[in-house]
Amino acid sequence: MLRDQFPGLNIQVHGKPLVYLDNAATAQRPQAVIDAVNDYYLNHNANIHRGVHSLSESATELYEQARVSLAKLINAPSHKDLIFVRGCTEGVNLVAQTFVRNRVKAGDEILISHLEHHSNIVPWQLVCEQTGAKLKVIPMNEQGELVLDDLDQLLNEKTRFMAVGHVSNALGTINPVKKLIQAAHDKGVPVLIDGAQAMPHLKVDVQDLDCDFYTVSGHKMYGPTGSGVLYGKAEHLNAMPPYHGGGEMISKVTFDSTVYNAVPAKFEAGTPNIAGGIGLGAAAEFMMKAGLDNITQRDHELRIYAEQKLNEVSGLRVFGTAKEKAPVFSFVIDGIHAHDIGTIIDHYGVAIRTGHHCTMPIFQFFGVAGSCRASFAFYNTEQEVDVLVESLHKAKAMFT
Amino acid sequence: MSELNKLYKKTILEHNRNPRNYGIPENWTHHAEGLNAVCGDMVNVYLTIKDDVLQHVNYSGESCAISMASASMMTELSEGLTLADWFERFEMFKLLMSKDAAEDLHYETLGPVNNLVTVKKFPSRIKSATLCWYAMAAAIKGEPTATTE
Repeated sequence: MLRDQFPGLNIQVHGKPLVYLDNAATAQRPQAVIDAVNDYYLNHNANIHRGVHSLSESATELYEQARVSLAKLINAPSHKDLIFVRGCTEGVNLVAQTFVRNRVKAGDEILISHLEHHSNIVPWQLVCEQTGAKLKVIPMNEQGELVLDDLDQLLNEKTRFMAVGHVSNALGTINPVKKLIQAAHDKGVPVLIDGAQAMPHLKVDVQDLDCDFYTVSGHKMYGPTGSGVLYGKAEHLNAMPPYHGGGEMISKVTFDSTVYNAVPAKFEAGTPNIAGGIGLGAAAEFMMKAGLDNITQRDHELRIYAEQKLNEVSGLRVFGTAKEKAPVFSFVIDGIHAHDIGTIIDHYGVAIRTGHHCTMPIFQFFGVAGSCRASFAFYNTEQEVDVLVESLHKAKAMFT
Repeated sequence: MSELNKLYKKTILEHNRNPRNYGIPENWTHHAEGLNAVCGDMVNVYLTIKDDVLQHVNYSGESCAISMASASMMTELSEGLTLADWFERFEMFKLLMSKDAAEDLHYETLGPVNNLVTVKKFPSRIKSATLCWYAMAAAIKGEPTATTE
C-alpha cells in the first residue's frame, strides 16, 4: 500500500487516529523523502558546487540529480531549465521582478484570474505599483469555474503577461490552462502557470502545455518544506537578469563589474536548501514510481465518494462544483462558523483548514468570510471520508 | 471530549445564539474595528462614552462562536463602567487568557466572562476570544483598528 509509506499518517490526535485532510496546505511525506533528507545530513553533508573534496562532490551530484528527476517529472526539455526556489511564492516573485517588471510600463496590463492564491496576486500588484501597469482579472462563475467568454477582450494589445493557477487551492477547480496558454500565445503574451496545487494530483507536461513558466512547490507534492522549482523556457531564462546577488550566481567578480554565471546558477545565489532539493528529487521519483495515472485515478474515486457523502449532510454547502476538479472541498454549515467546526472535528482526529485559504477574493465572490476546506491526497481513504462526515454531525449536534 | 465541552459551555453557546448588544447602533461616540488577518475574523465595537463612563457598548461582525460570545459577554460586563474600571477588567481578562495562568483562574468582577477560561487550552483560538477586547480598547483610545497579530 502506498499509504503505508507515509509514516506521518500513523499518529493519534486527541486519542483518535489522525485523519489528515489538510493536504492542500501541506502534504505528508513518504519515507523515501525523509530518508533522502537524512541521508544527505548523515552521509553527504557538505556545501555544493564549491569544494573539490569528495563529500562536496557527492552532495553536488545528489542535488543535481534531483534537478534531473524534477525535469523528468514535468517533462522539461532540459534540467537546466529548472531553478531551485523556496516554493511557488518565490518562483512567482522571481518572474514578476526579473521577467515582467522590465517589460511593462504605465497603462500596460497583467492578466490573472479570480481563482488565484494571494501569492499569484500580490507579486503582480507590486509590479503594477512599481510600473503603473494595471491588473486585470479573468472572472469566475458560481461553480467556481473561470468564465472565458470575454477572454478575447481581456487579452488585448495592452496585455503583457498572464499568470494563472493550474488548480485552485480553495475550490479544487482544474483550470483549462492549455487553452488559456494557447489564447495568450495567439496574442503574443507569455504565460506563467502556478502549479502548486496541480503537482500533487496531475501529470504535468510543460512542453505539451507550452507555458513560458511553471512553478512547483515541494511541500505540496510530498517533498520537504522550503523546496520548489521554477521552470522557464531557456530563451527567457537566458535573457533575464539575476534575481538575487551573491555567491554561486557569478562567474567573475571585481569591484568594477561582475560576470554572471550561466542558467540555472544565475538565479541560485547563496547556499541553497540542499537537503530540501535532494528530498524534492526523491518526491519526484516517488511520484513517478507510484504512477501519476494511478494518483489521478485515486483522486477521482475519493472526489466522487466525498462529494456524495458531504452532499448528504443537511445544511452543508460546498463552494466550487466545477466539472473538472481536484479532491478539494470548501464548505460551510448553516449556523456554525468554520473555526468552530475546525476545533470540534480536530477532537475527533480530523485535520482540515478553516478560513479564507489565502484566497480572499474567492470568498468575497461567494459573500462569506471563509470556509472549511477538506483537501484529499491519494493516500486518503473512503473510511476517512466517513470519519469526517461523522465528526461534522457531532459538530452540528453540539450547536443545536 | 470533556475539553471540548468545557470550551463550548452552555453559556458560550447561548451567547453565540442570542448575542447581547449586537448590531450597529444609531449613535455612538467611539468606534474601532478588530481584525484577525489569519483567520478572517472581524468585529466592530461601537461605544457611547459620557463623562468617562461607558453608557452603551455594541458590537457587530461575523465570527466564530468563541468570538461572538466573548464580545457579547464583554458588552454586558462593560456597560456602566468607568473607563478606569474597564481597563482594570481588561488587564484581568488578559491574564485569564494567558497560557501561563492557572487553569482555574477566576476573577469575581469578570462574572460570566470567566467561562472563557478554557480557551487558553486551545492556542489557535485565544485570539478569537481577545479580538473584541482589543478592538474596544482601541475604540476608547481613539484608534480606528486593532489586530491580534
